[in-house]
Amino acid sequence: MNSTQSRHLAFAGLFIVVTVTMLLDISIVATVSNETKRMFDYLDNLPDSSVIIVSFDHEASSLPEMKPLGLVMLRHLFAKDHKLIGVALLAEGTGVGYRLMQETAKEYNKEYGRDYVFLGFKPQFIAAILSMGESIKGTFPEDYLGNATSQIELLSDVNNYDDVAAVVSLADGSLTTHWIEYGNEKYGVQISAAVAAAMLTTYDPYISSGQLKAMVGGLRGAAEYENLLGIGGSGARSMLAQSSAHLYIILLIIIGNFTYFRSRKKG
Amino acid sequence: MARLFPQIICGFFGVVLFVLYFLKAPSAKSLYLTITSDYWQIIFAFALLVGVASFIRVNIKKLSILSESPYVITGLLGLFAMPVMALVWGIKGDSPFMWVFENVQVPLQATVFALLAFFVASASLRGFKARSLPATILLISALIALLSRSDIFGWLGNSALEFSEWIRSYPSMSARRGILIGIGLGSVTTSLRIILGIERTWLGKDR
Amino acid sequence: MDPGTIVAGILTIAILSFLYGDNPVYKMAETLLVGVSMGYVLVITWTNTLMAVLFKPLFLESQFWLVIPFIFGLFMFGRFHKSTSFLSRYSMAVLIGSGAGVAIPAMLGARTLRQMTATVEMVQGDSFLTIFSGLVVVVGLFSTLSYFYFSREHEGIMGRSAKVGTYFLMIFFGTTFGYTVMSRVSTFIGRMDFLLSDFLHLTN
Repeated sequence: MNSTQSRHLAFAGLFIVVTVTMLLDISIVATVSNETKRMFDYLDNLPDSSVIIVSFDHEASSLPEMKPLGLVMLRHLFAKDHKLIGVALLAEGTGVGYRLMQETAKEYNKEYGRDYVFLGFKPQFIAAILSMGESIKGTFPEDYLGNATSQIELLSDVNNYDDVAAVVSLADGSLTTHWIEYGNEKYGVQISAAVAAAMLTTYDPYISSGQLKAMVGGLRGAAEYENLLGIGGSGARSMLAQSSAHLYIILLIIIGNFTYFRSRKKG
Repeated sequence: MARLFPQIICGFFGVVLFVLYFLKAPSAKSLYLTITSDYWQIIFAFALLVGVASFIRVNIKKLSILSESPYVITGLLGLFAMPVMALVWGIKGDSPFMWVFENVQVPLQATVFALLAFFVASASLRGFKARSLPATILLISALIALLSRSDIFGWLGNSALEFSEWIRSYPSMSARRGILIGIGLGSVTTSLRIILGIERTWLGKDR
Repeated sequence: MDPGTIVAGILTIAILSFLYGDNPVYKMAETLLVGVSMGYVLVITWTNTLMAVLFKPLFLESQFWLVIPFIFGLFMFGRFHKSTSFLSRYSMAVLIGSGAGVAIPAMLGARTLRQMTATVEMVQGDSFLTIFSGLVVVVGLFSTLSYFYFSREHEGIMGRSAKVGTYFLMIFFGTTFGYTVMSRVSTFIGRMDFLLSDFLHLTN
């Protein structure tokens, strides 16, 4: 088998495994990891009606993974009656963030301006994080919809991070690092994160040092969180496909090594 | 002179920003934010405009190549359509601008990213071999991580899951911490070299 | 069916067609993505930065000090001509110089010192496992750092330490590979979920 054929075969296998398991349309209640439980407990133990910044620090490319995570975070926070301030530190997070907040707010009968607000995108993330530490309304004179932030009820008593209980960074890259290194280090605001699975190991040292309070990651993390919230969702619906794809990749690694050792023995 | 003045400005802004970071006076804070917020944003915005102008220039040159022209036109149409839609209908809520973002940009970008799943599968088959001791450790660690996240029915058992968590929280984390500290120290020394004018590669070559 | 879903479905299939091989349909979708993404960022930058931070405050609210960053910004266009390209160095000088000044305290404090402190604190504990795990972290950290220390030959103790560092790095890269697989697979599942449920109505 030549390299093109073996590549196409690996592709076809993954396509079939995911398609077939998705067509089975089975939702699975994922067993909850300690990591997800810690994130759930951390947010759950914040005093009710706390002001929380939800930062949409991701691009459109990772939306299939970030949307389920964003939804579980917002659902948990709205269910606890927290006051949410949405911001985006990447341009593509703007449209995504507003839509997600709007959709979830409807489920919980939350009112824009009183229970949540979306301030939109601010370029230059380090500058934006530092600037909000001095004045949130100064950093965002207008919200995403063009309303003056000085007139928004939710923000009437919110000046800077001193009035914010926590920041939840929804990130597919290293933006949470900047929240930690500038927001937490300079202003002392508590940071937690919901990140793409690929970024989990990147943030492990910050969890260990306590600079990052808690984190949850990937579609699997979203499914576990759905389990803790007692709701269904795309996380649970995708778990069979996710696990089957993992096992398929493990099988590919085993086959690759088997053929390698066999050819070495012959050679 | 074409290199000396920029170096002086660079060093000046470096020292000023470093000192301002520690000052608590409102005027110092305000100056710090003015530079990190307004200066950075505005200069970066113009850098982006330069990038867009370069993209247009390169693509217009490519228009004369017949086999490339359909693609060039598509790219340019996408580029010009967005500002035109934004100008006519705005960018909020249910505007055509957002429609294109949600129904063209998001699916395209997410699917391009999804292709990586296939290349990862192909790499697992063809490149992930236990050729040496380090390669074997790499392979075993990957298998442990993958297996632990495949467990949906609890068939792996608690101790196996705890072992996988231990691997991530201690040995794996320590190496990541080493990289992190290395980057931190490297960034500090590079920053100092830039401020002191020892590191000058950012100035480019004289044309 | 909603026209948006039809468009998104067709474009998703166009990109997936690359798996068979490079083809004109994929290339068309790819260039469309480049154009649209650039257009999106251009619009957002125009409204959120140039209008909100520069033009409105400068021309409507007479904040004339904004002329300085405006000029530095305009200097970036100097790159288009040989005789004016030196101007962009001034803009770069502001960005790089101030970036370096901001980075030093953050990198030293939040990254280096806090991480070092956390490592030392991990060795404390009342159970064997806690102390053992803490020692693993100390050994892992210092051996990894020695691997990246290139000012001395990797010989003797240094060489052995660097070698141990390689093993720790392999554990990190392997674990990260596992989680990266998870991430990429999730993204593909998300697209298939859209195709099978919203576009083809094969699942709920």
